[in-house]
Amino acid sequence: MSGGATAKTYTLPVGPVHVALEEPMYFRLDVEGEIVRGVELGAGHVHRGMEALALRRTLFQNIVLTERVCSLCSNSHPYTYCMAVENLAGMTVPERAQVLRVIAEEIKRISSHLFNVAVLAHIIGFKSLFMHVMEVREIMQDIKETVYGNRMDLAANCIGGVRYDLDEELTGYLLHGLDSVRGQVEGVHKIYSSDRMLLRRSRGVGVLGAADARELGVVGPVARGSGLELDVRHNAPYGGYALLGVEPVVERDGDVHSRAMVRLREIFVSIELIRRCVRELPGGPTTVLLPEIPAGEALARSEAPRGELVYFLRTDGTDVPNRLKWRVPSYMNWEALGRMMRDCRVSDIALIVNSIDPCISCTER
Amino acid sequence: MLDFLKILAGNVFKGPSTDGFPFTQAHTPRRFRGKVHLNPALCVGCTICRHVCAGGAIHIAERPDGSGYDYTLWHNTCALCGLCQHYCPTGALSTSGDWHNAHPQSEKYQWCERHFVPFLSCDGCGAPLRPLPPALTGRIYADNHVDAARLMRLCPRCRQIETAMHAREASHEAQSGS
Repeated sequence: MSGGATAKTYTLPVGPVHVALEEPMYFRLDVEGEIVRGVELGAGHVHRGMEALALRRTLFQNIVLTERVCSLCSNSHPYTYCMAVENLAGMTVPERAQVLRVIAEEIKRISSHLFNVAVLAHIIGFKSLFMHVMEVREIMQDIKETVYGNRMDLAANCIGGVRYDLDEELTGYLLHGLDSVRGQVEGVHKIYSSDRMLLRRSRGVGVLGAADARELGVVGPVARGSGLELDVRHNAPYGGYALLGVEPVVERDGDVHSRAMVRLREIFVSIELIRRCVRELPGGPTTVLLPEIPAGEALARSEAPRGELVYFLRTDGTDVPNRLKWRVPSYMNWEALGRMMRDCRVSDIALIVNSIDPCISCTER
Repeated sequence: MLDFLKILAGNVFKGPSTDGFPFTQAHTPRRFRGKVHLNPALCVGCTICRHVCAGGAIHIAERPDGSGYDYTLWHNTCALCGLCQHYCPTGALSTSGDWHNAHPQSEKYQWCERHFVPFLSCDGCGAPLRPLPPALTGRIYADNHVDAARLMRLCPRCRQIETAMHAREASHEAQSGS
Protein backbone atom coordinates (compact mmCIF):
# COMPACT_ATOMS: atom_id res chain seq x y z
CA MET A 1 0.00 0.00 0.00
CA SER A 2 2.98 2.27 0.50
CA GLY A 3 4.93 4.22 -2.05
CA GLY A 4 1.87 4.99 -4.20
CA ALA A 5 2.40 1.88 -6.31
CA THR A 6 -0.96 1.73 -8.03
CA ALA A 7 -0.47 -1.62 -9.70
CA LYS A 8 0.26 -3.47 -6.43
CA THR A 9 -2.31 -6.09 -5.37
CA TYR A 10 -3.49 -6.31 -1.77
CA THR A 11 -6.42 -7.58 0.25
CA LEU A 12 -8.85 -5.10 1.72
CA PRO A 13 -11.39 -6.08 4.35
CA VAL A 14 -14.63 -4.08 4.38
CA GLY A 15 -17.00 -4.68 7.27
CA PRO A 16 -18.63 -6.27 9.15
CA VAL A 17 -18.69 -2.93 10.97
CA HIS A 18 -18.06 -0.15 8.52
CA VAL A 19 -19.23 3.43 8.28
CA ALA A 20 -20.63 3.02 4.78
CA LEU A 21 -22.55 -0.20 5.45
CA GLU A 22 -25.99 0.07 7.01
CA GLU A 23 -25.93 -3.51 8.25
CA PRO A 24 -23.08 -5.89 9.11
CA MET A 25 -21.63 -7.72 6.14
CA TYR A 26 -18.07 -8.75 5.48
CA PHE A 27 -16.32 -8.27 2.14
CA ARG A 28 -12.84 -9.54 1.46
CA LEU A 29 -11.67 -7.63 -1.57
CA ASP A 30 -8.67 -8.27 -3.77
CA VAL A 31 -7.67 -4.81 -4.82
CA GLU A 32 -5.26 -3.68 -7.48
CA GLY A 33 -4.61 -0.02 -6.78
CA GLU A 34 -8.06 1.55 -6.80
CA ILE A 35 -9.70 -1.29 -8.73
CA VAL A 36 -11.47 -4.30 -7.18
CA ARG A 37 -10.42 -7.57 -8.85
CA GLY A 38 -12.09 -10.13 -6.61
CA VAL A 39 -14.85 -10.20 -3.99
CA GLU A 40 -15.57 -12.73 -1.28
CA LEU A 41 -18.67 -12.35 0.85
CA GLY A 42 -19.00 -13.30 4.48
CA ALA A 43 -22.30 -13.33 6.30
CA GLY A 44 -23.88 -14.45 9.53
CA HIS A 45 -23.38 -11.50 11.86
CA VAL A 46 -27.05 -10.85 12.61
CA HIS A 47 -28.31 -14.41 12.83
CA ARG A 48 -30.97 -14.55 15.53
CA GLY A 49 -32.27 -18.09 15.08
CA MET A 50 -35.74 -16.90 14.12
CA GLU A 51 -36.71 -20.02 12.17
CA ALA A 52 -36.01 -22.07 15.30
CA LEU A 53 -37.93 -19.54 17.42
CA ALA A 54 -40.92 -19.92 15.08
CA LEU A 55 -41.11 -23.63 15.97
CA ARG A 56 -41.59 -22.77 19.65
CA ARG A 57 -44.47 -20.37 19.06
CA THR A 58 -48.09 -20.76 18.10
CA LEU A 59 -49.34 -19.80 14.65
CA PHE A 60 -50.69 -16.58 16.20
CA GLN A 61 -47.45 -15.62 17.90
CA ASN A 62 -45.57 -16.18 14.64
CA ILE A 63 -47.49 -13.32 13.00
CA VAL A 64 -45.69 -11.03 15.44
CA LEU A 65 -42.37 -12.85 15.16
CA THR A 66 -42.30 -12.65 11.35
CA GLU A 67 -43.24 -8.96 11.52
CA ARG A 68 -40.00 -8.43 13.45
CA VAL A 69 -37.67 -10.20 11.00
CA CYS A 70 -36.81 -6.87 9.44
CA SER A 71 -38.22 -3.40 9.84
CA LEU A 72 -38.26 -2.21 6.23
CA CYS A 73 -40.33 -5.07 4.83
CA SER A 74 -42.08 -5.75 8.13
CA ASN A 75 -45.46 -6.02 6.42
CA SER A 76 -44.40 -8.44 3.67
CA HIS A 77 -43.28 -11.10 6.16
CA PRO A 78 -46.50 -11.50 8.18
CA TYR A 79 -48.53 -11.01 4.99
CA THR A 80 -46.80 -13.89 3.21
CA TYR A 81 -46.78 -16.00 6.37
CA CYS A 82 -50.53 -15.48 6.83
CA MET A 83 -51.09 -16.38 3.15
CA ALA A 84 -49.18 -19.64 3.73
CA VAL A 85 -51.41 -20.49 6.73
CA GLU A 86 -54.51 -19.54 4.72
CA ASN A 87 -53.40 -21.69 1.77
CA LEU A 88 -52.90 -24.62 4.12
CA ALA A 89 -56.30 -24.26 5.77
CA GLY A 90 -58.02 -23.47 2.46
CA MET A 91 -59.39 -20.19 3.79
CA THR A 92 -60.91 -17.54 1.55
CA VAL A 93 -59.89 -14.07 2.66
CA PRO A 94 -62.69 -11.49 2.20
CA GLU A 95 -62.14 -9.03 -0.65
CA ARG A 96 -62.13 -6.02 1.64
CA ALA A 97 -59.31 -7.59 3.67
CA GLN A 98 -57.36 -8.38 0.49
CA VAL A 99 -57.53 -4.78 -0.70
CA LEU A 100 -56.66 -3.44 2.77
CA ARG A 101 -53.62 -5.73 2.71
CA VAL A 102 -52.52 -4.21 -0.61
CA ILE A 103 -52.80 -0.72 0.90
CA ALA A 104 -50.57 -1.71 3.85
CA GLU A 105 -48.08 -3.42 1.54
CA GLU A 106 -47.80 -0.48 -0.85
CA ILE A 107 -47.44 2.07 1.97
CA LYS A 108 -44.50 0.05 3.26
CA ARG A 109 -43.05 -0.23 -0.25
CA ILE A 110 -43.06 3.54 -0.73
CA SER A 111 -41.26 4.12 2.59
CA SER A 112 -38.77 1.36 1.90
CA HIS A 113 -37.91 2.67 -1.58
CA LEU A 114 -37.59 6.25 -0.31
CA PHE A 115 -35.23 5.04 2.40
CA ASN A 116 -33.00 3.22 -0.07
CA VAL A 117 -32.92 6.14 -2.50
CA ALA A 118 -32.07 8.48 0.39
CA VAL A 119 -29.17 6.28 1.49
CA LEU A 120 -27.79 6.45 -2.07
CA ALA A 121 -27.46 10.24 -1.65
CA HIS A 122 -25.96 9.70 1.82
CA ILE A 123 -23.25 7.39 0.45
CA ILE A 124 -22.13 9.71 -2.31
CA GLY A 125 -21.89 12.51 0.25
CA PHE A 126 -24.94 14.51 -0.83
CA LYS A 127 -26.10 14.86 2.78
CA SER A 128 -28.63 17.61 2.21
CA LEU A 129 -30.43 15.55 -0.45
CA PHE A 130 -30.37 12.58 1.94
CA MET A 131 -32.02 14.69 4.63
CA HIS A 132 -34.58 15.96 2.14
CA VAL A 133 -35.63 12.48 0.92
CA MET A 134 -35.80 11.27 4.51
CA GLU A 135 -38.07 14.18 5.30
CA VAL A 136 -40.36 13.18 2.41
CA ARG A 137 -40.35 9.66 3.84
CA GLU A 138 -41.42 11.16 7.16
CA ILE A 139 -44.83 11.88 5.60
CA MET A 140 -45.17 8.12 5.00
CA GLN A 141 -44.06 7.45 8.57
CA ASP A 142 -46.79 9.77 9.82
CA ILE A 143 -49.35 7.95 7.65
CA LYS A 144 -48.26 4.61 9.11
CA GLU A 145 -48.41 5.91 12.66
CA THR A 146 -51.84 7.47 12.16
CA VAL A 147 -53.52 4.67 10.23
CA TYR A 148 -51.83 1.65 11.84
CA GLY A 149 -50.49 2.90 15.16
CA ASN A 150 -46.76 2.40 14.64
CA ARG A 151 -44.07 3.89 12.43
CA MET A 152 -42.64 0.55 11.27
CA ASP A 153 -44.62 -2.47 12.47
CA LEU A 154 -48.08 -1.99 11.03
CA ALA A 155 -49.67 -5.06 12.66
CA ALA A 156 -52.07 -5.06 9.71
CA ASN A 157 -52.32 -8.81 9.14
CA CYS A 158 -53.93 -11.66 10.98
CA ILE A 159 -54.67 -15.18 9.81
CA GLY A 160 -57.75 -14.87 7.61
CA GLY A 161 -57.76 -11.13 7.06
CA VAL A 162 -56.63 -7.82 8.47
CA ARG A 163 -56.70 -6.26 11.90
CA TYR A 164 -57.48 -2.71 10.81
CA ASP A 165 -60.08 -0.89 8.83
CA LEU A 166 -60.22 2.51 7.16
CA ASP A 167 -62.83 5.10 8.08
CA GLU A 168 -63.61 8.29 6.22
CA GLU A 169 -61.34 10.47 8.32
CA LEU A 170 -58.31 8.19 7.94
CA THR A 171 -58.93 7.73 4.21
CA GLY A 172 -58.91 11.50 3.81
CA TYR A 173 -55.68 11.75 5.79
CA LEU A 174 -54.09 8.96 3.74
CA LEU A 175 -55.01 10.48 0.38
CA HIS A 176 -53.89 13.94 1.45
CA GLY A 177 -50.54 12.51 2.63
CA LEU A 178 -50.08 10.60 -0.65
CA ASP A 179 -50.78 13.78 -2.64
CA SER A 180 -48.00 15.64 -0.87
CA VAL A 181 -45.61 12.65 -1.17
CA ARG A 182 -46.35 12.45 -4.88
CA GLY A 183 -45.54 16.13 -5.37
CA GLN A 184 -42.32 15.82 -3.39
CA VAL A 185 -41.22 12.59 -5.11
CA GLU A 186 -41.73 14.25 -8.50
CA GLY A 187 -39.12 16.79 -7.43
CA VAL A 188 -36.83 14.08 -6.08
CA HIS A 189 -37.21 12.05 -9.29
CA LYS A 190 -36.19 15.11 -11.31
CA ILE A 191 -33.09 15.63 -9.16
CA TYR A 192 -32.06 11.96 -9.41
CA SER A 193 -32.46 11.92 -13.17
CA SER A 194 -30.70 15.22 -13.84
CA ASP A 195 -28.22 16.13 -11.07
CA ARG A 196 -24.75 15.92 -12.61
CA MET A 197 -22.99 14.80 -9.43
CA LEU A 198 -25.50 12.02 -8.85
CA LEU A 199 -25.35 10.86 -12.46
CA ARG A 200 -21.54 10.81 -12.49
CA ARG A 201 -21.44 8.61 -9.38
CA SER A 202 -24.28 6.24 -10.30
CA ARG A 203 -24.36 5.79 -14.10
CA GLY A 204 -22.34 2.87 -15.44
CA VAL A 205 -21.43 1.79 -11.90
CA GLY A 206 -22.14 -1.73 -10.68
CA VAL A 207 -23.50 -2.90 -14.00
CA LEU A 208 -25.43 -6.17 -14.10
CA GLY A 209 -26.49 -7.09 -17.61
CA ALA A 210 -29.79 -8.81 -18.39
CA ALA A 211 -28.05 -12.13 -19.16
CA ASP A 212 -26.12 -12.02 -15.87
CA ALA A 213 -29.27 -11.05 -13.99
CA ARG A 214 -31.11 -14.03 -15.42
CA GLU A 215 -28.23 -16.40 -14.74
CA LEU A 216 -27.90 -15.31 -11.09
CA GLY A 217 -31.65 -15.37 -10.54
CA VAL A 218 -31.86 -11.88 -9.03
CA VAL A 219 -35.28 -10.59 -8.05
CA GLY A 220 -37.12 -7.35 -7.37
CA PRO A 221 -35.82 -3.92 -8.35
CA VAL A 222 -32.38 -5.44 -9.09
CA ALA A 223 -33.89 -7.67 -11.78
CA ARG A 224 -36.15 -4.91 -13.09
CA GLY A 225 -33.20 -2.49 -13.18
CA SER A 226 -31.47 -4.95 -15.52
CA GLY A 227 -34.40 -5.09 -17.92
CA LEU A 228 -36.12 -8.23 -16.63
CA GLU A 229 -39.89 -7.99 -16.25
CA LEU A 230 -39.95 -9.84 -12.95
CA ASP A 231 -42.59 -8.87 -10.44
CA VAL A 232 -44.60 -11.43 -8.48
CA ARG A 233 -47.50 -8.96 -8.37
CA HIS A 234 -47.56 -9.15 -12.17
CA ASN A 235 -46.29 -12.65 -12.95
CA ALA A 236 -48.24 -14.58 -10.31
CA PRO A 237 -50.82 -12.20 -8.83
CA TYR A 238 -51.86 -13.05 -5.28
CA GLY A 239 -54.49 -11.71 -2.91
CA GLY A 240 -55.63 -8.21 -3.76
CA TYR A 241 -53.16 -7.87 -6.64
CA ALA A 242 -55.18 -10.41 -8.60
CA LEU A 243 -58.10 -7.99 -8.41
CA LEU A 244 -56.07 -4.88 -9.27
CA GLY A 245 -53.31 -5.78 -11.72
CA VAL A 246 -49.84 -4.19 -11.61
CA GLU A 247 -47.52 -3.32 -14.48
CA PRO A 248 -43.84 -3.89 -13.67
CA VAL A 249 -41.47 -0.91 -13.84
CA VAL A 250 -38.40 -1.74 -15.92
CA GLU A 251 -35.12 0.07 -16.63
CA ARG A 252 -32.56 -1.28 -19.10
CA ASP A 253 -29.08 -0.12 -18.06
CA GLY A 254 -28.57 -2.43 -15.07
CA ASP A 255 -26.44 0.06 -13.15
CA VAL A 256 -26.82 1.72 -9.73
CA HIS A 257 -28.76 4.57 -11.35
CA SER A 258 -31.21 2.20 -13.09
CA ARG A 259 -32.02 0.46 -9.86
CA ALA A 260 -32.61 3.78 -8.09
CA MET A 261 -34.88 4.92 -10.94
CA VAL A 262 -36.89 1.68 -10.78
CA ARG A 263 -37.51 2.37 -7.09
CA LEU A 264 -38.45 6.00 -7.62
CA ARG A 265 -40.83 5.16 -10.48
CA GLU A 266 -42.38 2.35 -8.45
CA ILE A 267 -43.35 4.90 -5.82
CA PHE A 268 -45.69 6.54 -8.37
CA VAL A 269 -47.13 3.11 -9.27
CA SER A 270 -47.69 2.35 -5.59
CA ILE A 271 -49.40 5.69 -4.97
CA GLU A 272 -51.72 5.06 -7.93
CA LEU A 273 -52.41 1.55 -6.62
CA ILE A 274 -53.34 2.82 -3.14
CA ARG A 275 -55.63 5.46 -4.66
CA ARG A 276 -57.37 2.76 -6.71
CA CYS A 277 -57.67 0.55 -3.63
CA VAL A 278 -59.32 3.35 -1.66
CA ARG A 279 -61.65 4.18 -4.58
CA GLU A 280 -62.67 0.57 -5.21
CA LEU A 281 -62.58 -0.64 -1.59
CA PRO A 282 -65.26 -3.34 -1.39
CA GLY A 283 -67.53 -3.60 1.64
CA GLY A 284 -67.92 -6.63 3.85
CA PRO A 285 -66.01 -8.23 6.70
CA THR A 286 -62.28 -7.78 7.30
CA THR A 287 -61.65 -11.26 8.68
CA VAL A 288 -63.08 -14.75 8.47
CA LEU A 289 -63.50 -17.19 11.32
CA LEU A 290 -60.50 -19.38 11.89
CA PRO A 291 -61.01 -23.03 10.96
CA GLU A 292 -58.93 -25.84 12.42
CA ILE A 293 -55.49 -25.74 10.80
CA PRO A 294 -54.87 -29.25 9.40
CA ALA A 295 -51.57 -31.07 9.20
CA GLY A 296 -49.86 -30.39 5.89
CA GLU A 297 -47.51 -28.20 3.88
CA ALA A 298 -48.12 -24.88 2.20
CA LEU A 299 -46.21 -22.30 0.24
CA ALA A 300 -46.87 -18.61 -0.38
CA ARG A 301 -44.94 -15.95 -2.22
CA SER A 302 -45.22 -12.23 -2.59
CA GLU A 303 -43.36 -9.23 -3.96
CA ALA A 304 -41.63 -7.57 -1.00
CA PRO A 305 -40.00 -4.15 -1.58
CA ARG A 306 -36.74 -6.01 -2.33
CA GLY A 307 -38.24 -8.74 -4.50
CA GLU A 308 -39.78 -12.16 -4.31
CA LEU A 309 -40.38 -13.46 -0.80
CA VAL A 310 -41.26 -17.13 -0.28
CA TYR A 311 -42.69 -18.74 2.84
CA PHE A 312 -42.89 -22.48 3.44
CA LEU A 313 -44.98 -23.84 6.30
CA ARG A 314 -45.42 -27.38 7.57
CA THR A 315 -47.85 -28.20 10.36
CA ASP A 316 -48.67 -31.39 12.24
CA GLY A 317 -52.22 -30.62 13.31
CA THR A 318 -51.21 -28.68 16.44
CA ASP A 319 -51.11 -24.88 16.51
CA VAL A 320 -47.30 -24.83 16.65
CA PRO A 321 -45.69 -25.17 13.22
CA ASN A 322 -43.49 -28.13 12.47
CA ARG A 323 -41.31 -26.09 10.12
CA LEU A 324 -41.38 -22.51 8.96
CA LYS A 325 -38.87 -21.41 6.37
CA TRP A 326 -38.62 -18.25 4.36
CA ARG A 327 -36.44 -17.32 1.41
CA VAL A 328 -35.88 -13.61 1.23
CA PRO A 329 -35.04 -11.50 -1.87
CA SER A 330 -31.65 -10.30 -0.58
CA TYR A 331 -30.42 -13.90 -0.52
CA MET A 332 -30.85 -14.05 -4.30
CA ASN A 333 -29.54 -10.54 -4.85
CA TRP A 334 -26.33 -10.47 -2.83
CA GLU A 335 -24.79 -13.22 -4.97
CA ALA A 336 -24.87 -10.68 -7.80
CA LEU A 337 -22.66 -8.28 -5.80
CA GLY A 338 -19.55 -10.16 -6.93
CA ARG A 339 -20.54 -9.61 -10.58
CA MET A 340 -21.47 -5.96 -10.00
CA MET A 341 -18.25 -5.17 -8.14
CA ARG A 342 -15.95 -6.70 -10.74
CA ASP A 343 -13.42 -4.04 -11.73
CA CYS A 344 -15.20 -1.30 -9.81
CA ARG A 345 -13.44 1.35 -7.75
CA VAL A 346 -13.03 0.90 -3.99
CA SER A 347 -14.98 4.12 -3.47
CA ASP A 348 -18.01 2.63 -5.26
CA ILE A 349 -18.31 -0.48 -3.08
CA ALA A 350 -20.77 0.99 -0.57
CA LEU A 351 -22.78 2.47 -3.42
CA ILE A 352 -23.09 -0.88 -5.19
CA VAL A 353 -23.94 -2.72 -1.97
CA ASN A 354 -26.71 -0.21 -1.26
CA SER A 355 -28.04 -0.50 -4.82
CA ILE A 356 -29.29 -4.06 -4.21
CA ASP A 357 -31.01 -2.68 -1.08
CA PRO A 358 -29.65 -5.56 0.98
CA CYS A 359 -31.56 -6.62 4.04
CA ILE A 360 -29.09 -8.58 6.10
CA SER A 361 -31.42 -9.12 9.04
CA CYS A 362 -33.99 -10.69 6.66
CA THR A 363 -31.42 -12.94 5.07
CA GLU A 364 -29.69 -14.13 8.23
CA ARG A 365 -32.73 -13.85 10.53
CA MET B 1 -28.28 21.46 -8.92
CA LEU B 2 -30.68 24.35 -9.36
CA ASP B 3 -33.63 22.10 -8.51
CA PHE B 4 -32.07 21.24 -5.22
CA LEU B 5 -31.24 24.85 -4.38
CA LYS B 6 -34.95 25.60 -4.71
CA ILE B 7 -35.72 22.90 -2.12
CA LEU B 8 -33.00 24.26 0.18
CA ALA B 9 -34.40 27.79 -0.06
CA GLY B 10 -37.90 26.46 0.64
CA ASN B 11 -36.65 24.66 3.74
CA VAL B 12 -35.04 27.81 5.09
CA PHE B 13 -38.44 29.52 5.07
CA LYS B 14 -40.27 26.46 6.37
CA GLY B 15 -38.16 26.26 9.54
CA PRO B 16 -37.40 23.10 11.52
CA SER B 17 -39.69 20.12 10.96
CA THR B 18 -38.90 18.33 14.23
CA ASP B 19 -41.16 18.22 17.28
CA GLY B 20 -40.15 20.35 20.25
CA PHE B 21 -40.41 17.34 22.61
CA PRO B 22 -39.83 17.28 25.64
CA PHE B 23 -40.58 21.00 25.85
CA THR B 24 -43.80 20.65 23.87
CA GLN B 25 -46.18 17.71 23.64
CA ALA B 26 -45.44 15.30 20.78
CA HIS B 27 -48.44 14.53 18.59
CA THR B 28 -49.90 11.07 19.27
CA PRO B 29 -52.45 9.73 16.77
CA ARG B 30 -55.74 8.27 17.97
CA ARG B 31 -54.87 4.72 16.86
CA PHE B 32 -51.35 4.71 18.31
CA ARG B 33 -50.43 1.33 19.76
CA GLY B 34 -49.04 2.25 23.17
CA LYS B 35 -49.24 0.61 26.58
CA VAL B 36 -51.93 -2.06 26.82
CA HIS B 37 -54.62 -1.73 29.48
CA LEU B 38 -57.11 -4.25 30.84
CA ASN B 39 -60.61 -3.35 31.92
CA PRO B 40 -61.19 -5.99 34.64
CA ALA B 41 -64.95 -5.44 34.57
CA LEU B 42 -65.09 -6.91 31.06
CA CYS B 43 -62.56 -9.73 31.52
CA VAL B 44 -64.08 -13.22 31.63
CA GLY B 45 -60.80 -15.12 32.03
CA CYS B 46 -61.01 -17.00 28.73
CA THR B 47 -57.16 -16.70 28.42
CA ILE B 48 -57.13 -16.20 24.63
CA CYS B 49 -54.94 -13.10 25.24
CA ARG B 50 -52.38 -15.25 27.05
CA HIS B 51 -52.51 -17.79 24.21
CA VAL B 52 -51.83 -15.28 21.42
CA CYS B 53 -49.46 -12.96 23.33
CA ALA B 54 -46.21 -12.99 21.35
CA GLY B 55 -43.93 -12.02 24.18
CA GLY B 56 -45.62 -13.98 26.96
CA ALA B 57 -46.42 -10.76 28.81
CA ILE B 58 -49.76 -11.92 30.21
CA HIS B 59 -50.07 -14.10 33.30
CA ILE B 60 -53.39 -15.37 34.58
CA ALA B 61 -53.44 -17.43 37.77
CA GLU B 62 -56.46 -18.66 39.66
CA ARG B 63 -56.27 -18.23 43.44
CA PRO B 64 -56.14 -21.51 45.39
CA ASP B 65 -59.11 -20.49 47.56
CA GLY B 66 -61.29 -20.13 44.45
CA SER B 67 -62.07 -16.49 45.14
CA GLY B 68 -60.99 -15.30 41.68
CA TYR B 69 -57.93 -14.91 39.49
CA ASP B 70 -54.96 -12.56 39.32
CA TYR B 71 -54.29 -10.92 35.96
CA THR B 72 -50.79 -9.52 35.39
CA LEU B 73 -49.66 -7.69 32.24
CA TRP B 74 -45.93 -6.97 32.06
CA HIS B 75 -45.35 -3.81 30.05
CA ASN B 76 -41.65 -4.52 29.47
CA THR B 77 -42.35 -7.94 27.94
CA CYS B 78 -45.18 -6.61 25.78
CA ALA B 79 -44.28 -6.23 22.08
CA LEU B 80 -47.16 -3.75 21.48
CA CYS B 81 -48.43 -5.95 18.64
CA GLY B 82 -52.09 -5.57 19.60
CA LEU B 83 -52.98 -9.25 19.05
CA CYS B 84 -54.60 -9.50 22.51
CA GLN B 85 -56.80 -6.53 21.67
CA HIS B 86 -57.74 -8.11 18.32
CA TYR B 87 -58.69 -11.52 19.73
CA CYS B 88 -60.27 -10.41 23.05
CA PRO B 89 -63.97 -11.38 22.69
CA THR B 90 -65.26 -8.83 25.20
CA GLY B 91 -63.08 -5.83 24.33
CA ALA B 92 -61.47 -5.88 27.76
CA LEU B 93 -57.98 -5.20 26.39
CA SER B 94 -57.06 -2.01 24.60
CA THR B 95 -53.92 -0.25 23.44
CA SER B 96 -53.58 3.32 24.64
CA GLY B 97 -51.86 6.42 23.35
CA ASP B 98 -49.45 6.23 26.29
CA TRP B 99 -45.94 5.64 24.95
CA HIS B 100 -44.08 6.87 28.03
CA ASN B 101 -42.39 3.62 28.93
CA ALA B 102 -39.14 4.95 30.39
CA HIS B 103 -38.75 4.10 34.06
CA PRO B 104 -35.93 3.69 36.59
CA GLN B 105 -34.37 0.25 37.02
CA SER B 106 -35.72 0.11 40.58
CA GLU B 107 -39.28 0.12 39.25
CA LYS B 108 -38.92 -2.67 36.71
CA TYR B 109 -40.71 -5.27 38.84
CA GLN B 110 -43.61 -2.90 39.38
CA TRP B 111 -43.83 -1.96 35.68
CA CYS B 112 -46.94 -4.00 35.07
CA GLU B 113 -50.67 -3.89 35.40
CA ARG B 114 -52.15 -6.12 38.11
CA HIS B 115 -55.83 -6.84 38.58
CA PHE B 116 -57.74 -9.18 40.80
CA VAL B 117 -60.86 -10.44 39.05
CA PRO B 118 -63.25 -11.98 41.63
CA PHE B 119 -65.44 -15.00 41.05
CA LEU B 120 -69.07 -14.84 42.14
CA SER B 121 -70.75 -17.86 43.65
CA CYS B 122 -73.52 -19.60 41.74
CA ASP B 123 -77.00 -18.66 42.99
CA GLY B 124 -77.99 -22.31 42.78
CA CYS B 125 -75.14 -24.37 44.20
CA GLY B 126 -72.54 -21.85 45.34
CA ALA B 127 -69.80 -22.97 42.91
CA PRO B 128 -67.37 -20.19 41.89
CA LEU B 129 -68.09 -18.65 38.49
CA ARG B 130 -67.12 -15.66 36.40
CA PRO B 131 -70.25 -14.11 34.86
CA LEU B 132 -70.16 -12.80 31.27
CA PRO B 133 -70.35 -9.01 30.90
CA PRO B 134 -73.91 -7.76 30.17
CA ALA B 135 -73.04 -6.62 26.63
CA LEU B 136 -71.89 -10.11 25.63
CA THR B 137 -74.82 -11.77 27.38
CA GLY B 138 -77.18 -9.49 25.48
CA ARG B 139 -75.59 -10.58 22.21
CA ILE B 140 -75.80 -14.30 23.04
CA TYR B 141 -79.42 -14.18 24.25
CA ALA B 142 -80.61 -11.57 21.73
CA ASP B 143 -83.25 -13.92 20.24
CA ASN B 144 -84.22 -15.64 23.50
CA HIS B 145 -86.90 -14.48 25.90
CA VAL B 146 -85.15 -15.55 29.07
CA ASP B 147 -83.97 -13.69 32.14
CA ALA B 148 -80.35 -13.52 30.96
CA ALA B 149 -79.21 -11.60 34.04
CA ARG B 150 -80.46 -14.43 36.30
CA LEU B 151 -78.96 -17.16 34.06
CA MET B 152 -75.57 -15.46 34.20
CA ARG B 153 -75.51 -15.78 37.98
CA LEU B 154 -75.72 -19.57 37.65
CA CYS B 155 -72.98 -22.08 36.96
CA PRO B 156 -73.35 -24.09 33.70
CA ARG B 157 -74.89 -27.08 35.57
CA CYS B 158 -77.47 -25.01 37.42
CA ARG B 159 -78.19 -23.12 34.21
CA GLN B 160 -79.04 -26.39 32.48
CA ILE B 161 -81.41 -27.36 35.30
CA GLU B 162 -83.00 -23.91 35.33
CA THR B 163 -83.55 -23.97 31.57
CA ALA B 164 -85.03 -27.49 31.73
CA MET B 165 -87.38 -26.41 34.52
CA HIS B 166 -88.43 -23.45 32.45
CA ALA B 167 -89.12 -25.61 29.43
CA ARG B 168 -91.19 -28.03 31.59
CA GLU B 169 -93.22 -25.20 33.11
CA ALA B 170 -93.82 -23.73 29.67
CA SER B 171 -95.03 -27.05 28.26
CA HIS B 172 -97.31 -27.58 31.33
CA GLU B 173 -98.79 -24.14 30.82
CA ALA B 174 -99.34 -24.84 27.16
CA GLN B 175 -101.06 -28.16 27.98
CA SER B 176 -103.36 -26.71 30.69
CA GLY B 177 -104.15 -23.74 28.46
CA SER B 178 -105.31 -25.88 25.52
